[in-house]
Amino acid sequence: MKASLEAILQGAGVWRGLEPATAVLSARCPSGWPRLDAVLAGGGWPLGTLIELLLPAHGLGELRLLMPALRRQLLPSPGDGPRWLVWISPPHEPYPPALAQSGLDPARMLRIEAPQPADRLWAVEQVLQSGSAAVVLCWLDAVDDRWLRRLKLAVENQSVLLIALRPTARRQTHSPASLRIELVPAPHGLDLTILKERGRAPTRVTRVFGE
Amino acid sequence: MAIRPRLRRLVPERRVQNATLDLFASTERATPHPTPPPVARVLPQPAQLWLAVRFPTLPLVVVPDPAAVQAVVEGLPGRQWLVAVTAAACQFGLEAGLSRAAAEIRVPSVTLYERCADREAQALKARARAAFAFTPFVSLEAPDTLLLEIRGSLRLFGGLEALLSRVRSTLATPLIATVQATAPTVRAALWLARARVERPVLSTAELPGALAALPLAVTGFEASVLQTCERMGVSTLGELIRLPRDGVARRLTPDVPRQLDEALGRAAQPRRRHVLAERFTDQIDLPAESLTTDSLLPWCAHLLAAQQRFLVQRDAAVAQCRFRFQHRSGQGSTTLVLQRSLAATQAAEWQLLLVERLGRLILPAPVVAITLRSGVVLPAVPLDEGIGGVGHDGQAAAARLLDRLRARLGEEAVHGVCLVPEHRPECAYARVRPTLPSVIADPGQWPMAPRPLWLLAAPQPLPVRDAAPSYGGPLRLLSGPERIESGWWSGQGVARDYYVACAASGARVWIFCERDADGQRHWCLHGVFA
Repeated sequence: MKASLEAILQGAGVWRGLEPATAVLSARCPSGWPRLDAVLAGGGWPLGTLIELLLPAHGLGELRLLMPALRRQLLPSPGDGPRWLVWISPPHEPYPPALAQSGLDPARMLRIEAPQPADRLWAVEQVLQSGSAAVVLCWLDAVDDRWLRRLKLAVENQSVLLIALRPTARRQTHSPASLRIELVPAPHGLDLTILKERGRAPTRVTRVFGE
Repeated sequence: MAIRPRLRRLVPERRVQNATLDLFASTERATPHPTPPPVARVLPQPAQLWLAVRFPTLPLVVVPDPAAVQAVVEGLPGRQWLVAVTAAACQFGLEAGLSRAAAEIRVPSVTLYERCADREAQALKARARAAFAFTPFVSLEAPDTLLLEIRGSLRLFGGLEALLSRVRSTLATPLIATVQATAPTVRAALWLARARVERPVLSTAELPGALAALPLAVTGFEASVLQTCERMGVSTLGELIRLPRDGVARRLTPDVPRQLDEALGRAAQPRRRHVLAERFTDQIDLPAESLTTDSLLPWCAHLLAAQQRFLVQRDAAVAQCRFRFQHRSGQGSTTLVLQRSLAATQAAEWQLLLVERLGRLILPAPVVAITLRSGVVLPAVPLDEGIGGVGHDGQAAAARLLDRLRARLGEEAVHGVCLVPEHRPECAYARVRPTLPSVIADPGQWPMAPRPLWLLAAPQPLPVRDAAPSYGGPLRLLSGPERIESGWWSGQGVARDYYVACAASGARVWIFCERDADGQRHWCLHGVFA
């Protein structure tokens, strides 16, 4: 009896509350920032699920925060051919010389402009379904959370880093994202507040990177 | 060719004369000296056999009814003559070459049509397409002859006789009969066909005899050359061949002995191979005018199916299709261009894209006709059947994604980027049409000084307080200046000092200072180190 219960609890589909969520979300991509990795379950960004970053303004260092993970996701993987880094409606031009300086190959960038929110979500879903992206960065604002749920389903079981960047004003709205992080600019660098992660109370990470 | 002048110097003059005379004698005759004559080489090519198929009555393509008394005329108004007549007209005594006036007097009921060179060229090309059933090498000789290399086809079709009758039954129509001449060289076959000599000539040795009796007119030499020949009393090819070579070249043109060499198989005559149409084009005239895009879809699908047949025949695919919806006369047309990242053969794949685009197409006026013109025809590559699967499947999925995104969001909404070696920051990259994701060994050069990840679409002027730029508070300069002065030749030159600065909010920004014509300093924000 006990042995069979153990067997069930070992199954991949079972998650026990207050345990780190590593059993459920196995695929991780190290964020490259030791202070953040120490806090995130499994030691990195979860892959194959929806991550939400909330920012009060653009240009706080959100790309710098993601850069090590983007680099790692674009590394060649044995089973797959090369995949894209997809930018969906970024607020400014992701500047290719700077991307190249940061170690991202400009030839792997795919930028999609979709002014209508409906088109934007549709584009994200299409990209996820095609399986040809390693990273999807999309800038969203007010979104029906059923759509977010659809995106979360679409990305499941893929080794894709899916990140939605939304204004901090959306902090109070419900979101199905597995990981919600608020970016807080600070004079010394960047602080993060982890608003939601499975099996974890909100946590604050200070000085992810400093000057 | 380069050795000829040297030979002339080494060999005594009389011998050279001998050698040139030999050219026009039988090739089997032993040459009196050990050096072979410089030009009269028997070419070491595999033996060819050429079939010239001539359509003397090709101008009759414009005639609608083969049984009626009809003829085709050409020439300027007032001085026209008949170029081809139907069999019925022939019985009334009409023949090619007769003047229009004479024909109308002889047979008042005759219907005359103007000759149409375009229609004839089209008809000849259509016959060339059909001729590909017999050989892969078909060449056109305007205005009315096809040249087919048939040596390799003889066995397949059961010998020359069987092949000739198959060619005749395929290419000849009751109105437009064929003249078929066979010879080992292109030019001989052509000349025999013009002389209507259908007896096959199978070896080079028989050629001089077979050509000897032909009138000089079959050669198509210039009129002045033919006149000179006539004055010299030369009226057949045989007589011309017997003349000394250098004399012929001097008195007529150097071209004449060369053409004779080609006809007799002593010099190669390369032919241009006829290549089948590169694009598919077809048009449907709608039975009724149509304004809704839904009602156009079945017709477009019909055209796509025709294109698929065209492509399957050639084992080919296209990456672009252009639909043109013709409106009522005077109202122009609407064009819809479909583009795929990977070339496709199947109509179904195009139709997916078409439905998406057609749904959003706004037609300004009712449509009366639809034209489909395919893009460049590419060899078909079976994508989904790769053994090593992964890469190919991935590429196909990526290509489908691009097509779908472009179809809904527009061509410009989806793009990739590349680096451009340029000092001006706004010119140091370019948006490009996205390609499938790939690893590039050398992505290009990028500047050594730090660049911001967000570049503003246009530099944003910054207010200046206490002689220092301000962006939500005074900016603290962290590094710089980096002077960028370039582009004066393009009329959009810049002369700027760039700094990295820290804003009050903690954000690092990329700002520059430039002077206007009055020497006034201006500060602008150009990027954010996100």
